[in-house]
Amino acid sequence: MIKALLRIVARRLFAIVPVFAVVTVLVFAALRILPVDPAQMSLPPSATIEQVEAKREEMGLNKPIWQQYALWARRAVAGDLGESAQYRMPTAKVVLERLPATIELAMCALVFAVVVGVAGGILLFTVRGTALESLGMALTSVVMALPDFLLALLFILVFGVMLPLFPVNGRLDPGLEVPSHTGFLLLDSLLTGDVSIVASAISHIALPVMALGLAFSPTIVRVLHSSLINTYQQSYIRQARLRGLSDREILFGQALKNAILPVVILVGTQFGGLFGGTLLVEMIFSFPGLGNLMVKAMQTADLSVIMAIALIYCAVTLLFNSLADAAAYLLNPKLRTA
Amino acid sequence: MTSHSILQIESLDIALRSGDAILTGVDLAIAPGKVLGVIGESGAGKSMIGAAIADTLPPGLAISRGSIRFDGLTLTDMTARTRRDLLGRDIGFIPQEPMTALNPTLTVGQQIGRHLARIGIANRATRDKRAIELFSEVGLDRPAQLLKSYPHQLSGGMLQRVLIAMAFASNPRLVIADEPTTALDVTIQAKVVELIARMRQAHDTSVLFITHDLQLAADVCDDVAVLYAGRIVETGRAEEIIDAPRHPYSRCLSLAAPNLDGPVAPLMILPKAMPGAVERAAMRGCAFAPRCPAADEACTRTPPPRRAVSPGHVSACHYPERTSAIAPPARRNAGDLAAPGEAAVLRAQGLGKAYRQHDWLGRVREVEALRGLDFTVREREFVGIVGESGSGKSTLTKLIVGLENVTSGTLHVVGLDRTSTPRERFFDQVQLVFQDPQSALNPRRRIGSLVTQSLECRGNGLAAKARRELAAELLAKVMLPPDAADRFPDQLSGGQKQRVNIARALCSNPRLLIADEIVSGLDVSVQAQILELLRGLREQASFSLLLISHDLAVVRHVCDRVLVMCKGEIVEQGPVEQVFGAPRHPYTMQLVAAARGRPRSDDRHAREASDLS
Repeated sequence: MIKALLRIVARRLFAIVPVFAVVTVLVFAALRILPVDPAQMSLPPSATIEQVEAKREEMGLNKPIWQQYALWARRAVAGDLGESAQYRMPTAKVVLERLPATIELAMCALVFAVVVGVAGGILLFTVRGTALESLGMALTSVVMALPDFLLALLFILVFGVMLPLFPVNGRLDPGLEVPSHTGFLLLDSLLTGDVSIVASAISHIALPVMALGLAFSPTIVRVLHSSLINTYQQSYIRQARLRGLSDREILFGQALKNAILPVVILVGTQFGGLFGGTLLVEMIFSFPGLGNLMVKAMQTADLSVIMAIALIYCAVTLLFNSLADAAAYLLNPKLRTA
Repeated sequence: MTSHSILQIESLDIALRSGDAILTGVDLAIAPGKVLGVIGESGAGKSMIGAAIADTLPPGLAISRGSIRFDGLTLTDMTARTRRDLLGRDIGFIPQEPMTALNPTLTVGQQIGRHLARIGIANRATRDKRAIELFSEVGLDRPAQLLKSYPHQLSGGMLQRVLIAMAFASNPRLVIADEPTTALDVTIQAKVVELIARMRQAHDTSVLFITHDLQLAADVCDDVAVLYAGRIVETGRAEEIIDAPRHPYSRCLSLAAPNLDGPVAPLMILPKAMPGAVERAAMRGCAFAPRCPAADEACTRTPPPRRAVSPGHVSACHYPERTSAIAPPARRNAGDLAAPGEAAVLRAQGLGKAYRQHDWLGRVREVEALRGLDFTVREREFVGIVGESGSGKSTLTKLIVGLENVTSGTLHVVGLDRTSTPRERFFDQVQLVFQDPQSALNPRRRIGSLVTQSLECRGNGLAAKARRELAAELLAKVMLPPDAADRFPDQLSGGQKQRVNIARALCSNPRLLIADEIVSGLDVSVQAQILELLRGLREQASFSLLLISHDLAVVRHVCDRVLVMCKGEIVEQGPVEQVFGAPRHPYTMQLVAAARGRPRSDDRHAREASDLS
């Protein structure tokens, strides 16, 4: 069983490779089309034309584009993603420094969205046929209509300004220091064992997590709600009822495992959207992650950083698709035991 | 009936919120250890009885009058909670479709385990042991391994055994079986019926057996109640109701079912359809009167009295004595059939089909779906194909219409080469009708345009007037009124829809018509209409018919010859009377025995007596 699962995950991950290669070509081409000269960008404004030309030669910008791509790809595979024009540091280093913050944010938002979404879906289902159901549906519509960055601004207004319960920028209170072991602030602050540091880290991440997560959860509520309704029309639910199982046993023991499958697929396919949402939300909360870095890189046309971050977004999206496929496989005995 | 009944239903009414009645004045009683059959066609309300006992009536329906007493308890006075506690413990259920009745994401062991836990076996090891005992009792092989299986890994027959094991696990006082064999293959049906009878005896349980099949009820039940339009029209001993019915509807039902023995007599056809809840409310007299061959003025004016025609035999009819005189009308031309021609419209020689399956590592495995078929269908010949699921019937159809490629042997279809003939020319000659009449008709088109639909892709557009005339002609051919042309499919009954499908298939005047289980989803009386229609078409036959069916009597009623298929091969073929009358191949014998040889009730009682001694 475990072996079969590992095999399917491995197969899925392997299938990502060619897709990812195509994506790199597209991103590479898109960035080369921009009217920006990477050589000029990577030199101080005072550089002479000769210096720029020398840089162009060094960066291979005078070669045909496919050769440029081949060069980039060869370096990228070796871990060299070029140099950030903005920071004058290797791009890989710049990006990897910010990566844990964004992963932490996106993962917390995902957990929040799934918990709120699944609980909401079940709740909405249990009040089916009543006015509460209509009310809940209306509420999901409203939240669905609000994009994550608007929710972020709203939360700042409500929980940061009107009721100042949460800090609205950064990852920690000023003056606090956390030694970095894992790069993930929540883990690192737990490692310090200092309650006030943990509390500070949690309160800083709370609003961005809620903004990102809440924007995603109404879709989960809707999908689970309709999936449960669908499942309850199946003959085996009726049969379980005829064996005298209680409503609770039927919902949690029989229906949920079947009904959750579309939610798993949804999360897998739509996680890319949530991850992409970090871009604006991080900027709004001055959260020092990839999104923030991306915005700055775009302002300064820091091409190698833009490219690296774009590819990380792509990779994360593909990865989650594959994980969802594997999870769906695991949840469906018909596939698993075929 | 007796002073202490396990189940006693008294003047039960079930109504819609609007007040329209679904069931009216239903009285039923089951004595301990007896089997009561409730017979009815779809729409009669038979499943509502089980739902009322279980307190699982669909939303919008409620008991408006009457009582249900179970084993000394008045269910209708109890709280929902205490009623639910009875389910699975004192009242067991056997479902209609075993394939969907178990949760696909849980193992069989998990599901029976939860059930056993609910009925009080706390220890897990004890539960497993009990489950294995139960599985052995219902005749399942390798029970221990079965516990770890998922439902989709088992066949329909095995699943039904699992469900029967669960239903009887708690030694319930009552088991409700709602059409428990309808979804199963013929040979398995007989075994499941036998199993239910055996379990009932071993566990000393009463059974409420809900079915549309009169013959089946006769074999299984002690007593029978016939339900029509929400009312019980006749109750009594099973043999009496089958052999000497005293209500016209019961008699019409028997006469509507085709036989496997005796002469191929015309089937009883009832005009119109069973009235729905709203129509019934407007009727003052007997709900069956508008369709009844024995009815007169009085029947439509006053409701029929319910009275005993002999001890224990009650009929709700004004004129029960007229029942025995009811007979189907004689055929117009004494059943003379057009003789088949010599030319072959369909000829298979050494026909085979193998599928290539790729496994994980890309290894190729060949699976033979059909092997060495040799047969011919001549002009104007009606040929039946019988066989169980998995026998290759559907694969053969796919090969004939070119949905799949032939992998060995040859197949000649109406003299056309499927690969080079333009699709519309091929399908001018070959047409299909499918099992589900509903899903084959676009609900947004009128019947008139549906039956002439095949003209649209020809390009030689008929004038609207000519097209209307053609539609009227086709509808007349399938005995539908001309005004049906302006209606939508949803306004027709299931039987009428299937006639529309047949009319549409005949539009291009095909040489070969393939009918795939076209009556198996229909009620007996509706099936009779379609079968008589096919016989009528055969008298003036302009086409050959390939009729695929699991029901031997249906094939016998319509066809000249029959092919018996088993595991991808034709094991026997020949004239219908010869093959079914004196089968040579063991598999055909088994099929015929399963269809005919269910022990008649007298034999059964004799056997029970000998079991007891």
